Amino acid sequence: MLDLTMQAIQTSLDGLAARQRIIAQNLANSETPGYIAQDVNFEDSLRSAMAAGDPAQASISTQNTTDPTTPNGNSVNVDEETVGLVDTGLRYQLATQSMNNEFSILSTSLRQDL
Amino acid sequence: MSIFPVFDTAQSALRTNRVWMDAISDNLANLNTIRPYDQPAFQARFVQAQEVPSSSNPDDPVGVGGGVQVASIQYGDATGIERYEPGNPMANKQGIVRSPDIDVSQNMTDLILAQRAYQLNLAVVDRASQSYQQAIQINGK
Repeated sequence: MLDLTMQAIQTSLDGLAARQRIIAQNLANSETPGYIAQDVNFEDSLRSAMAAGDPAQASISTQNTTDPTTPNGNSVNVDEETVGLVDTGLRYQLATQSMNNEFSILSTSLRQDL
Repeated sequence: MSIFPVFDTAQSALRTNRVWMDAISDNLANLNTIRPYDQPAFQARFVQAQEVPSSSNPDDPVGVGGGVQVASIQYGDATGIERYEPGNPMANKQGIVRSPDIDVSQNMTDLILAQRAYQLNLAVVDRASQSYQQAIQINGK
């Protein structure tokens, strides 16, 4: 049903939503002793999956960041997470709009009374 | 992160100014760190910032700059201030200890500067976010 573009946008929406969840988790644990901040990467995987012609193969992975920790072992940077939240939100808007465009093209092609 | 390049620049400034505030807070925290006469005094931390060259950023062909980064942390004088405190167990035979040579008024002024710079860059993130939002809505309904 979904064409390649839509699949790619869908993967990107999934990845961005996962990134927002991770940022929320990092911010929630900004004072937790020993907590290591995590981030989400899906762009590299999506790029190679697109090159292979199948965006559905793309995977979303999380990994620990390598930022230095405070004396209590926590490595969350609240300002970086906050900027990341704004950035991810804007990217999500871009992706949703692209998806809406795809659907409006589809819906135009379904209409007969043009 | 290159669709929204302003965020990278502002974030580099947030990071640098946070390091600066950390250093100032460390200096102020160690104001009364006394050392024995035969050991170096606590050395004040000075953050040396430097611009990130445009050439290191492939997305910046016109050269608007790549933000700021911490080049190094410099250390103040290890001699400190030799103080006469004969009652202090760390004092030598002459009753001398080393207290750190930290300029409190300088550090407090720097703290205000760092805090203002931090606020300014948060304001940049906010304004950039609004601009980008409007750009996104060009195509919106």
